Amino acid sequence: MTKTGMIDFRGVNKWFGALNVLRDITLSVEPREVVVVCGPSGSGKSTLIRCINGLETIRDGDLVVDGQRLGDPATNMTRLRTEIGFVFQSFNLYPHKTALENVTLAPIHVRKIPRAEAEQAGRELLAKVGLADKVDAYPAQLSGGQQQRVAIARCLGMRPKIMLFDEPTSALDPEMISEVLDVMVAVAEEGMTMMVVTHEMGFARKVAQRVVFMDAGAIVESGTPDEFFSHPKTDRSRAFLSKILRH
Amino acid sequence: MIWQQVQSLAGSYPLALRGLGMTVVLSLISLVLGTLLGFGLGILRTGGNRLISAAIGAWVDLIRGTPFLVQIFLIFFILPELGIELDAFTAGIIALTNLAACFICEIVAAGIRSVPTGQVEAALASGLSRSQRMRQVVLPQAMRIVLPPLVGQYVLLIKDSSVVSAIGLTDLTRVGWLVVQRVPNGLLVFFLVGLGYFIVCYPLIMLARRLEQRMGAAHGEVQL
Repeated sequence: MTKTGMIDFRGVNKWFGALNVLRDITLSVEPREVVVVCGPSGSGKSTLIRCINGLETIRDGDLVVDGQRLGDPATNMTRLRTEIGFVFQSFNLYPHKTALENVTLAPIHVRKIPRAEAEQAGRELLAKVGLADKVDAYPAQLSGGQQQRVAIARCLGMRPKIMLFDEPTSALDPEMISEVLDVMVAVAEEGMTMMVVTHEMGFARKVAQRVVFMDAGAIVESGTPDEFFSHPKTDRSRAFLSKILRH
Repeated sequence: MIWQQVQSLAGSYPLALRGLGMTVVLSLISLVLGTLLGFGLGILRTGGNRLISAAIGAWVDLIRGTPFLVQIFLIFFILPELGIELDAFTAGIIALTNLAACFICEIVAAGIRSVPTGQVEAALASGLSRSQRMRQVVLPQAMRIVLPPLVGQYVLLIKDSSVVSAIGLTDLTRVGWLVVQRVPNGLLVFFLVGLGYFIVCYPLIMLARRLEQRMGAAHGEVQL
């Protein structure tokens, strides 16, 4: 196998029943690259990134992540997942655990880091996302923006090679979006390989090297943020942009 | 007349205590074993393997759909035919444990299914193994749903244990049958037998009610 990118889709297809949700996807993400994925709802963008850590399985084609081919019996999916952080639209924090426990759970149980050390690292991470004073709070006591920042810290606690974001700000009140985006920008600037499903075009312009536009399960267009936003090449991307940039 | 009967009954109190002791010991052992087995079955029931899940489902339906008295007779009279010698106590434990496990299995499975998919996905995404996901993420959240009906089920099972008197175990109910032959006042005797069960069950009823109130409190955090 030739040495390739950090994430490599080659001719990937996926169906939900009769619905072809991913159509012949070929896409390579380099180490330290930030790729923003956008497109109308139902276009397959969430499915695309959920395939990368095996939350969805692919029907055919090759998907190689960090040098390991998904679906290959030799690939230890649980091990691979420890290298991939995943931030959900609905945060999915563990409601019965404090912010700090959310962050330290996987480092302690999966990475086998001693508790004291993991807690020290967890406190630093929560401080980094601006939540030093919330370490002992339960998710229900935090705002949406705060919960999402804990969720990002929870991923960073595993020191992943890749971070995937599935519409991380879509469930947030408008005034909380920027606090989450600021954290994501900081993560991107530290050289994290990232794929971000979002319609936050300011974020895309600021940190993304590439914007991928999907429609009906296929990648329709791909280019730098500047190219994509200023000179969209297809009718479908122009129609999409006119809708999200209208206000 | 009544006074004589009461005096005569008072003389039976060592037997009554033995019966109460048997009921408590039988219930305690069966409930502990049944809870462990029930949680195991409940976890398997909701696990990925369809064949195992269907097999457990069929067994649970069978046990829930037949009278306990029939089950206990089958175990006590059929197993020896197959060369497995059982004393009444062991047969009672097996029957009651099996019954408890089947009811608890369904309660646990319902609790596990109530945990949102996103919780499992978050645990999956951070690389937790299957058993770690269960222990750290799913079960603690399922317990909120499971605990109140679980304790309620204990009460029902303790009362069901009275059926073991049918195979000759000297539990509280059988003590009632024995005593009533000497003291022919069924009303009085079985009032006392009922009181015995009530004394064992009432604390559990109170516990179930308290748990339900606590779990019902909006977003209250349950520390296990």
